[in-house]
Amino acid sequence: MSTLSHLTQLTWAGLADKPVLETGATVFAFSAAMRISRLSGNHPLLNPTLLAIIFISFGLEATHIPYEVYLRGADAIHFMLGPAVVLLAVPLFRQGALIRSSGRLIAVGLAAGLPVGILSAVGIAWTLGASSQTMLSLAPKSVTAGIAVGISEQIGGLQTLTIVLVIMTGITGAVLGPIVARLARVEDPRVIGLTMGIASHGIGTARALQISEVAGAFSGLGMGLNGVLTAILLPVIFRLV
Amino acid sequence: MLEQITRVMFWLCVGEIVAKSGLLPLPAPVTGLILLYAELAVRGKLPDDLGVLADRLLQFLGMLFVPAGVGVLAFLDMLKAEAAPILAAVIGGTAITLFVTAIVANRFGAMRSKSKEQKPEQLEGLARDVNS
Repeated sequence: MSTLSHLTQLTWAGLADKPVLETGATVFAFSAAMRISRLSGNHPLLNPTLLAIIFISFGLEATHIPYEVYLRGADAIHFMLGPAVVLLAVPLFRQGALIRSSGRLIAVGLAAGLPVGILSAVGIAWTLGASSQTMLSLAPKSVTAGIAVGISEQIGGLQTLTIVLVIMTGITGAVLGPIVARLARVEDPRVIGLTMGIASHGIGTARALQISEVAGAFSGLGMGLNGVLTAILLPVIFRLV
Repeated sequence: MLEQITRVMFWLCVGEIVAKSGLLPLPAPVTGLILLYAELAVRGKLPDDLGVLADRLLQFLGMLFVPAGVGVLAFLDMLKAEAAPILAAVIGGTAITLFVTAIVANRFGAMRSKSKEQKPEQLEGLARDVNS
């Protein structure tokens, strides 16, 4: 029996030391989530990213694998975000002509979405008596995480809190975007994409790409422009206030 | 295909250098996106394999946010003290932002398309969209 003793180390927690389990489980959870989403006809509430997060969290609960161990293992998947965001240049390039002819529409969308994104969040938090640090951390919530962290640091917010809020905002926007588009009777894929990118950055863009390439391209553009402009404008505004 | 993966990594790497040097307050992937777009605009054409690579990877863009989303669960304790204002600000604020942006941009888009007929390239883009 002693020759088999090494097998006793084969517990879930032991396997979790190798990134195979975390990456494999993430891919499996997302493919199951995609299937459910597709079966429901891409129902907004059954957002594949949100479903996969729920599946993984139940999985971690059941196997007693700590979050930190999962996050270390799933880093390979997280890393792929970088190249994926760079590749958003491709749908943008393909829709170049449509984007160039929609310059004013894009400007109008940003002129509305950028200030409303900041003021609605800070305004609601202020009304409900949030601390000033929370409000500062909330201000860049609609901006892609990498930019939001920099803004948060500059204006005096908590960086970790900002990342948490940015991701919560992304998921909220990805879920609510198609619902709002239907309620507001918006059918133009340019408007739907632009709106989701401005309000909910990359996670909204992932959902917009499910709608169509036009929606995805405009969402990627909305995310990029909103991020760059907010990075320039928000610290200036806060210095004035 | 490997050439295209190298191209993406190259621009991401340049983005990383720009970010580290503090030249621009932009994260590496955003700079990389802008540079890759600029390269494509200068060349005027999309390499086939790059298109395939983008289509394949972007199909799973939502999956790449799963670890970050799970990471949020590890930090939920941070929100405890001010859970109500934070949840209201995130959910309410995002809903308001979506509504206002969608309605304003849609009004403007409808106004423009009424005032002049749609451009042929717009229809082309929408047709490709339907076909995909």
